[in-house]
Amino acid sequence: MWSYTLKRLVQGIITVWFIATATFFAMHSVPGDPLLNDRAMSPEIRANLEAKYGLDQPLFTQYVVYMTNLVRGDLGISFVHENQSVNDIISERFPVSAILGILALFIAAIGGVIWGALTALYRNRLPDYIIMFLVILGISVPSFVVAALSQLFLVNVNELAGRTLLPVAGWGSVLHLLVPALVLGLSTMAYLTRLMRSSMLEITNSDFVRTAKAKGLPPARIFTRHQLRNAILPVVTVLGPQVAIITTGGFVVEIVFAIPGLGRFFVEAVQQLDYTVIMGTTVFYGAFLVVMVILVDLIYGYIDPRIKLEQ
Amino acid sequence: MTDLSNEAPVFDPTDFEALARTQDANAISRPSLSYWQDAWIRLKANRRAITSLYIIIFLLLFTIVGPWVWRIDPAIQDLDQISQPPGTDRSAQIVEDYIAWDGSTDGGSGLRVIGDPNSQAVRLTWDMLENADGHRIYRNRFPVGEELAFGIPLAEYLDNNIVTHEDRLDVRPDTYFYTVVALDDRGQTTDNFQTIEVEVERVTTLAEALERGLIDENSSLQVGDSINLEAHPLGTDYLGCDMLARLMAGARVSLFIGIGAPTLFVLFGVVFGSVAGFMGGRVDQFMMRFADFVVALPFLLFMILFKIAFGIGPGESGVLPMLIALVVLMWPATARLVRGQIIQIREQGYIEASKLLGASTPYLVLRHMLPNTIGVVLVTLTFEIPRVIFVEAFLSFIGMGVAPPTPSWGSMSNEGIRTMLITPHELIFPALIISITVLAFNLLGDGLRDALDARMRNQE
Amino acid sequence: MSASSNEQKLLEVENLAVEFDTYGGVVKAVRGVDFAVDQGETLAIVGESGCGKSVTVQSIMGLIPMPPGRITEGSARLRGHEVLGRNAIDGKDIRGSEIGMIFQDPMTSLNPTMTIGDQIAEPLQVHRGYSYQDAFKEAVNLLEMSKIPEAAKRAKQYPFEFSGGMLQRAMIAMALSCKPSILIADEPTTALDVTIQAQILDLMQDLQKETGMAIILITHDLGVVARMADEVAVMYAGKVVEHGTVDDVFYRSAHPYTVGLKDAMPNNDRELQHELKPIEGSPPDLFSPPVGCGYCPRCPHAMNICENRHPIDYFLGDHHFSRCWLHAEQVTEKPVSLYVREHN
Repeated sequence: MWSYTLKRLVQGIITVWFIATATFFAMHSVPGDPLLNDRAMSPEIRANLEAKYGLDQPLFTQYVVYMTNLVRGDLGISFVHENQSVNDIISERFPVSAILGILALFIAAIGGVIWGALTALYRNRLPDYIIMFLVILGISVPSFVVAALSQLFLVNVNELAGRTLLPVAGWGSVLHLLVPALVLGLSTMAYLTRLMRSSMLEITNSDFVRTAKAKGLPPARIFTRHQLRNAILPVVTVLGPQVAIITTGGFVVEIVFAIPGLGRFFVEAVQQLDYTVIMGTTVFYGAFLVVMVILVDLIYGYIDPRIKLEQ
Repeated sequence: MTDLSNEAPVFDPTDFEALARTQDANAISRPSLSYWQDAWIRLKANRRAITSLYIIIFLLLFTIVGPWVWRIDPAIQDLDQISQPPGTDRSAQIVEDYIAWDGSTDGGSGLRVIGDPNSQAVRLTWDMLENADGHRIYRNRFPVGEELAFGIPLAEYLDNNIVTHEDRLDVRPDTYFYTVVALDDRGQTTDNFQTIEVEVERVTTLAEALERGLIDENSSLQVGDSINLEAHPLGTDYLGCDMLARLMAGARVSLFIGIGAPTLFVLFGVVFGSVAGFMGGRVDQFMMRFADFVVALPFLLFMILFKIAFGIGPGESGVLPMLIALVVLMWPATARLVRGQIIQIREQGYIEASKLLGASTPYLVLRHMLPNTIGVVLVTLTFEIPRVIFVEAFLSFIGMGVAPPTPSWGSMSNEGIRTMLITPHELIFPALIISITVLAFNLLGDGLRDALDARMRNQE
Repeated sequence: MSASSNEQKLLEVENLAVEFDTYGGVVKAVRGVDFAVDQGETLAIVGESGCGKSVTVQSIMGLIPMPPGRITEGSARLRGHEVLGRNAIDGKDIRGSEIGMIFQDPMTSLNPTMTIGDQIAEPLQVHRGYSYQDAFKEAVNLLEMSKIPEAAKRAKQYPFEFSGGMLQRAMIAMALSCKPSILIADEPTTALDVTIQAQILDLMQDLQKETGMAIILITHDLGVVARMADEVAVMYAGKVVEHGTVDDVFYRSAHPYTVGLKDAMPNNDRELQHELKPIEGSPPDLFSPPVGCGYCPRCPHAMNICENRHPIDYFLGDHHFSRCWLHAEQVTEKPVSLYVREHN
């Protein structure tokens, strides 16, 4: 187990290095050096940047400086927000996004497994049709539309109730979190429901479930002991990549619901062409995703005994 | 047990003559179908998939033929009909050309309207409010209510003698609530106010109507008659542009990217994957590691980064760079899939057999390997199209995709969201068409997968 | 059934018919099957793929998914009690407790995410009310009984850590955990190496001697039949075409299909060696089952009647019958390959 984890970590570090390198060269291939264009930048910041990045140096030297800083965990200073380092911005903003994302992933995973199992149990009957119809909707409607519509809905509900049952936007309490997390998790939940359904159906027709029936086990026991655990396996495998979708989906939800997370800040940085923030955030998100995928793989190894041998 | 049988049926003597064979024992009783024939039959049986196919064909017609049928220029702004939902009354009264107000009032009292309130101007007058050191005039689309929501401030008169205001600020045919609030000596609002509800009528002048082609020069219409303004079947957006025309123009961008990009990167993935799968060994290892790295890039972040790298900032449209960026970033999934297929097929007996018969490598690849992967590739393509349409919509939504004036469904939704509470149709139409397109491609993909892959049949 | 077998047997199946709804139409997979098996006996059901042998036993076990499956006719009685459509008789569960079953592919027939011991312990917990600890201990004993070395350690392992032969032993241990009176083995050795096959068959025979259970063996391997069976039922296109003791069926084959099967099988016995002859053609389409004898299109001796009427039972011995019109007295010249009653 440990050697497997170590191997995955090394792979992860290589991947992050690749992402950082790709980011660096992508940013530096911008026509005209992005660090030298005449955006509103105070002389102090400019002096800082020049010292820090060796802007007069050749590209490769800059790359070395950049990577050295990166290894030290220093992502640089914002172009736009004076005296704010990218590290500060991330450490301030990321927890908000992380809470939202984790809650969304949690809702999506639990919901996906439950709905998927239900549709498989009620295959080709009314509950199956209803849930699958909603799933198709969830997959086909863009997240920003869902976000906007749910906001519209909240406004109406609050109006009907005559008071604010759930806040329409903003950040601060658990109540602020609920609807955005649900909206964020929705498409993932729809996807997982589909996956869980087909996985359940495949397992239901599998040989070992037939064996369990031949053993005379009661249906409830067959369902919990034999079907569910095996059907969840493929769902767990896709959770890692789904983290990426939830993170980027977070951009939209954060914008629509006015949540002060890293996603919204990133979009702002893009609109303001705050290069260091864009680079830093990209590398940070990349590393975060790599860690999440490794984590999910480790969980998978725990759930599926067959994985242990492949160390 | 004396009888040979347990019953004694009646027989015909010819029964026991040898049977004259009418058909060969090895003949197959049912007609044989080719892979594609079989798949087509199964696809036809899938009503959802066929309906989706019709929807997609309709969407393509809408995009390509639509602009020839509905010839309104999507960029023309109809300033008299801004943010109009479909089905709104579009009649307008013809009035005299605008003449500046001389400030004359009638003998009424309180806050009141002088003349007919119309989209040319709303003329208000009021009596000086008690203890007022000046007045401020507000306009709102809703009643003032308990929260004292006055709306947008129009003007402020610190001179108590001025008790008239002419509102020409973007007046639309609608119901407005005008409020006049008394100001204290420091210019702050007091809770002393008067409010009035005003129905604004849409008007136009003969000159204007002529210019916009609503009437011709020898028209007999007079001031006081009413004419119909331009028709907008799906209403107009916040700039007064025709929604239907914009949806058609937007379809060109959205579907060009949505279909063009997947076609290109699936094609690239097929080439990359089949080379890797066919070469095997070190080459395969190296190629697939590279694909793994591309997969590991945070996709949307790199999309954005790419656009910046192309020198396309926010607020600038770059359809082609977006296409290239999508192709560069999205090919690995197909490449992996095709490689897996090729490796599987490479091990099959019929490849071995074909090799023994002296088949050349290009023959093997073109005749045996690729045809056997086409099904999977086709299914991937139909699933990638909705994904890319989403990505385009998302990028346009955050302002990194297509920017005005070029419309795309994503950027139209983005614009629609801002006014969603007041004019929901500006969001609903683009959102609906995105959803229907994505839905149709997803259902068609499901149907194709079920039809082409017998193993996956009957599973969602 | 035979007029001489009036006494009740352990399991009696009569006129069983099963259909399936498929997207192509209704498949009549089993079209009236009878057989019986007694304690300590082994009945082999032989036939090629798709002849309905697995469906027959699965419907007795209640393993046919319904829908799309449907038992349209017939009965199966265990000690005189109807089992079709029931879960228990006399307060005892049928599946796992009265009848144990093992399957063709042990690799996929065990839950990959559960230890072998846990899987064997399950029926004991459910049918016998054992605690988990007791059940697990018993599972280890059962593994030992199935001649698995280091049973205690093996019980804690997962299926992927077992070889195919070992897994089939574990399957047998699991099927026999509640001491069933019948073991149904659905092609138990088809997926295994030849050397392992012999071991598994030996194990089954040993356990049968110990427990006195009846075995219903589904196979298409006549070698396995010769080694294991007391009685044989030959199935073709959803019907039993010949039934008799193993000697009857092998040495006094009375149906052209049985003869064809034997001709298609290699034989190590030097005297019996012959050129292998495949049976021409393929089994009938069960979407529209034939009116007459199902084997008619492939039969080298087919007559006009074969096409139109299903043959009646012709008895050639006490338990030996064949469903073939060639045994009718009107047929004067019988094929030499076919066994016919001597006094005919």
